[in-house]
Amino acid sequence: MRALGQIATLVRKDLLVEWRGRARLFSVLLFGAVTLLLFSFAVGPDSLALRAAAAGFLVLALLLSSTMGLSESFRVEQEQRALEGLLLLPVEPVALFYGKALANTVFLLLLAPILIPVALVLYAVELEAARILGLLGLWALAAAGLSAPGTLYAAMTSRLQSQDVLLPLLLFPLVVPVLMASVKSADLILTGDPMAQMRSWLVLLIGFDVIYWSLCGVLFPYAVQEAQ
Amino acid sequence: MTRDDARPLAVRTLGLGRRFGRHWALAHVDLAVEPGEILLLAGPNGSGKTTLLRLLAGLYRPSAGSLAIFGLDPAKERLACRRALTLVSHDSYLYDRLTAYETLAVWARLLGRPAGEDELVGLLAEVELAERRDLQVKGFSAGMRKRLTLLRTRLERPRLVLLDEPFSALDPGGRRMVEGWIERFRDEGIAVLMASHALERTTRIADRALLLERGQIAWQGAAAELPARMERSR
Repeated sequence: MRALGQIATLVRKDLLVEWRGRARLFSVLLFGAVTLLLFSFAVGPDSLALRAAAAGFLVLALLLSSTMGLSESFRVEQEQRALEGLLLLPVEPVALFYGKALANTVFLLLLAPILIPVALVLYAVELEAARILGLLGLWALAAAGLSAPGTLYAAMTSRLQSQDVLLPLLLFPLVVPVLMASVKSADLILTGDPMAQMRSWLVLLIGFDVIYWSLCGVLFPYAVQEAQ
Repeated sequence: MTRDDARPLAVRTLGLGRRFGRHWALAHVDLAVEPGEILLLAGPNGSGKTTLLRLLAGLYRPSAGSLAIFGLDPAKERLACRRALTLVSHDSYLYDRLTAYETLAVWARLLGRPAGEDELVGLLAEVELAERRDLQVKGFSAGMRKRLTLLRTRLERPRLVLLDEPFSALDPGGRRMVEGWIERFRDEGIAVLMASHALERTTRIADRALLLERGQIAWQGAAAELPARMERSR
């Protein structure tokens, strides 16, 4: 129970710090929107092709935006060695991981209300409310699948000068299953699911979410230890 | 009855060493600190003072030898050691975008110590920050940050306090305040290890001093004798 209280405190602290430095949220949002715009330029004015690629582009925009947000989240921890200050308290590193990963998931969820409508408009997709809700739910699962390994790798690379390059290099190969399941599921939401395939893709996505959140929690203490 | 059964030493190290690559930053350190004792760590820059404090705080693992904090092994009993000690280092451990009050509230919650608003404001008043309780830390001077960070030693209620240059960045009033705290720690049976270059002040309050040179203990004895010893070694 005490660990849950500590996790709640850490999430609240991270969201408060994030809210006070809103510039990061806005810059990541702008980056995501510009990415969606550039993808639409790459395809051209063919509305059929745009609709067909919409799911992939939307998930890619989330993935690219997430790396920006994740690396910044640990920069704050390194500024005054605040993370070391937390590690010196009687707090299990695993609580630090879940606090940070949950805060990062919330951060990625905040991108959805802007990026989803932008994608729907740019890619000429019309959706009823129920499907938009489905897309939001899928976004939450994808955000969770990205933020757990992203938090682990952001912690591992946070002391390196080349973090901005290393983080995507390490993260992207690891999240391929999440990427595939998210793109397939999003495509089925946007274009319809006549063969009832959605369930299997969602099971895959949830399965990887569970694996990442468990495994990364176990590995995180090693990631934040000083060179031994 | 053995000594450990009666009252374990605050710090016990045997042949403690720490290596970075091929360079030994600290070697062959045998140390025993009693509860309530104030030990001054002196020595030139790079002599190993900070490395020793970080080893004791569990931030580094020893490359050689062993150490115990109140009889506990920091590698095996991490949380118990964390509860027993506080380290105030060169870094402030603060978040620029939290206020002074929020910073203390976060620390208190993570410590599992439900501290009321009155208690936290009282602590801020002790370091003359009560009137700035709702200001974000980013607007604080180095001295104000130091005062806020030093409050960890009060909030955590440790049995061992590790201080790395506790007087740096502080004005005369702040230095007197820390001096008073250290003396109060001794009265309460809290052991203090402090690394400092402010010898005039620290030799007055410390019981014992340990001089480190090139990562090894060059001398140890009564704190009052340290200035004369350092004069001889020049």
